[in-house]
Amino acid sequence: MFKKSCLSILVSVTLLSACGSDNDDDNTSFDFDATPMITNLTEDVIVAGYVDLNTKAEAFVAAITTLSTDKTEANLAAAQQAWKDVRQPWEQGESHIFGPVDSLSIDPHLDSWPLNTSDLESLLSTQDSFTADGVRNSNDDVQGFHTMEFLLFGDGVEDNTKAITEMTDLEIEYLSATAEVFNGYTQDLEDAWLVASDANNDSSEAYKDYLLETDNEIYSSQVGVIEELINGLIGIVDEVGNGKISDPFGADIDSTDTSLVESQYSWNSLADFTDNITGVQNVYRGEFDGEADAAGIIDFVDAADSELATRVDEEIATAIANIEAIAGSDDLPFRQAINDADARVRIQTAIDSLSVLQTSLENDVLLLLNEWNVQ
Amino acid sequence: MPVSNLRLIAVSALLSQIIIGCDSDDNSSKYPDYALVEKLGDTATAENASESGHGFSTPIPTLTDDELAQHLTGDAHFETAFTTAPNTEHPELDGLGPVFNNQDCNSCHQRDGRPSTVTLSTDQDRVLLSSSAGIFLRMSIEDGLCDYPDADNDYCNNVGVDGFGTQLFHRGVLKARDDWEENPFIGQANVYLSYESSTFTYPDGSSVELKKPLFDIEIPYDVEADEQSNSSIMQDNVRFSPRNGMPVFGLGLLELIPEKDILALEDSTDENADGISGRANWVFDPIKARDGDDTPISLGRFGWKASTPSVRVQSLGALRGDMGITNPLFPDESIANTALHESYLTRTNNEDTGSDIYGEPEASQSFSDDVVFYAETLAVPARRNIDDEDVLTGSILFEQTQCTACHTPSFTTATGELSIGGKDAPEALKGQKIYPFTDMLLHNMGDELADNRRDFMADGFEWKTRPLWGIGLTKTVNPAAGFLHDGRADTVEEAILWHGGEAANSRTLFASLSEVEREQLVSFVMSL
Repeated sequence: MFKKSCLSILVSVTLLSACGSDNDDDNTSFDFDATPMITNLTEDVIVAGYVDLNTKAEAFVAAITTLSTDKTEANLAAAQQAWKDVRQPWEQGESHIFGPVDSLSIDPHLDSWPLNTSDLESLLSTQDSFTADGVRNSNDDVQGFHTMEFLLFGDGVEDNTKAITEMTDLEIEYLSATAEVFNGYTQDLEDAWLVASDANNDSSEAYKDYLLETDNEIYSSQVGVIEELINGLIGIVDEVGNGKISDPFGADIDSTDTSLVESQYSWNSLADFTDNITGVQNVYRGEFDGEADAAGIIDFVDAADSELATRVDEEIATAIANIEAIAGSDDLPFRQAINDADARVRIQTAIDSLSVLQTSLENDVLLLLNEWNVQ
Repeated sequence: MPVSNLRLIAVSALLSQIIIGCDSDDNSSKYPDYALVEKLGDTATAENASESGHGFSTPIPTLTDDELAQHLTGDAHFETAFTTAPNTEHPELDGLGPVFNNQDCNSCHQRDGRPSTVTLSTDQDRVLLSSSAGIFLRMSIEDGLCDYPDADNDYCNNVGVDGFGTQLFHRGVLKARDDWEENPFIGQANVYLSYESSTFTYPDGSSVELKKPLFDIEIPYDVEADEQSNSSIMQDNVRFSPRNGMPVFGLGLLELIPEKDILALEDSTDENADGISGRANWVFDPIKARDGDDTPISLGRFGWKASTPSVRVQSLGALRGDMGITNPLFPDESIANTALHESYLTRTNNEDTGSDIYGEPEASQSFSDDVVFYAETLAVPARRNIDDEDVLTGSILFEQTQCTACHTPSFTTATGELSIGGKDAPEALKGQKIYPFTDMLLHNMGDELADNRRDFMADGFEWKTRPLWGIGLTKTVNPAAGFLHDGRADTVEEAILWHGGEAANSRTLFASLSEVEREQLVSFVMSL
């Protein structure tokens, strides 16, 4: 015991002279108590979003069950709406793609793209029935959001209004099986954050606790949590601006590619993109739209630079508005807008505003971590 | 020597080093020279990402604008999920399989790190490897050791299993098999994973539960279900080796470590009698063969057994093998000319021959170049907590327990006109003082880790020393990730306890430390 104590003291003493805060004498450094912000973002934004996703997935399953027992136009429309409803929290949650959504492979299970239409159509033309177990053991590209979207809305080329007469009983059976598997994954995601990060290990931590109580095997400090959150925002802004919108948009109107449009069957693309950046806004502001003010990344930024905090908030709002404006007065869906000269101007405006936002997040907001006096 | 004596010596040596350090004017001199190094990749170290799950996924900050653009293009390719041929909407993405292990790079290298370890619920005895698994089995026919590759011994290439090859593809596209209507989406065979448990008890009485994965193979495609024992892969002379995905950052730097500096560490006959050998694995180099080199042999640097010479060969081999996407370096399907492929082609009207209608491979040259460049130019995460007193003490214990005998802390990458995988090397990779903590050599790691399968010159007990840089971010990147070649270790501590063979002495030294000291050593490793 004596040896250990002595050793510890020796090391401590030498360290005191060797180390110190990098920021103590730096007049750009700032103080910020991150605990309320991390608590709020974890509990009331991230976890609340996954609970909402799971709730809406349950509603979606119920809508498909209703459709399978009563095959009517109205029930198909209700199922289509239920798909759009559950899509919203998923897309907003793409602003924080880390943790169980990745480690449990839930992202590819739920949102693989492109859809493997070749195998899906072969399945529907050769099999007599489908079960949840069968779908679960299938490849990711014949299950999840886009498989269900394709079955509910049709191919999206001419319209997104599949008629009930176009839907076979076998398609509904496949939908039912896929919806059940889908809901299983949304439940797994909720449980991983709230109950146990490894469903097969009851003693594993709820994932939210890794964020709430840092100095663990995942996050050694609150710096890591905030870095995770900000880089998550950067990631989705980059993906929307430089991937989801830019890839099908092409360099000019002669090089567009509608096959690259996300959610092209339902014509839900612009809602997807808007929700992605709304997800950024949720994390930045710390609350969902219309909710009471709560602690978010904006408060961290504000502690260092109030002008920057306001500017980034405005850039997020501008990006959302510009994406929504793409539809124009004709309410064009995105897959048509990319081939419309006027709409292309609006799309470029949206891309530019996302680029501005991304630059601010990368060059200004993220770098504040280097100035923060961690408490 | 009794363990208690070893421990006494270790602690005495530690104390004397600390005390010597206190007499020095230079605070850093009491620690190993690497203990206070934060940027393990020198200027190729990640910026503002090393505390979070983005730590393995950022480009080297000193890339030129053009290089950064290529890196980002490769980044998108890395996440590209391939589909069954034909895909009329996305012909550039079709060609998956027809048998494979995963559909995209990211599935086995989640967030550019390790894949999730497959776990079992309490009511499961075993679990089928499916799309969530980032592990697969290599296999070959036992044919003894291979001293050195030459034309007469087929350059020490492993002998594939008749009708299967050298990798078991446990997944497939819908119609991969003749019996696809009963067994859709199944590859050459089903593979089930289970675990065998054991307990390691420290001299101080505390213990750690360990688990070792076991694999069962069922319904191989080449025989009827009731004749499985007759399958080619069920024979006694077939050797299997599980392979877990591994992190893909810093690879370009490792490729530019001068060959002479690695070979200088070789001690194949243990002439210095330290119990550590260290052997190079000389392997067949498909790039040299393509370019007409008379001796297409290079130093193996990548893969669990250092069986590939470059990031390019490793990456494009995985593209063709793990995903079934042919490319300019590997233009033929892994299963070409097997009964499975022949029947698949017949059944599907030759839709997935491995070549498109122009005779070109499924992945283009530019796709291949970009995804290779991506893996070559991912930055190394910076260290964390380097000022923490437990971490600093741990660095001394890391040295004391002789971990650096194999986990060589540092090299300096080459400079001048250089090629990497047959292409000009980016300047950002050159002349960097790096701290990967690997000697890039093979070592006998003992019975418990042995796969009993030769891989070029590596025998069934040998594994390449894994780099330790970034290892502390493993769970941050993927909380379900495991360590070692089959993901058996949940923690760094467990991974240390699996060290045997040449590393058994280090394990003994580690085990003989006090619990606090063991935690300090692990803290140091986790800071990397």
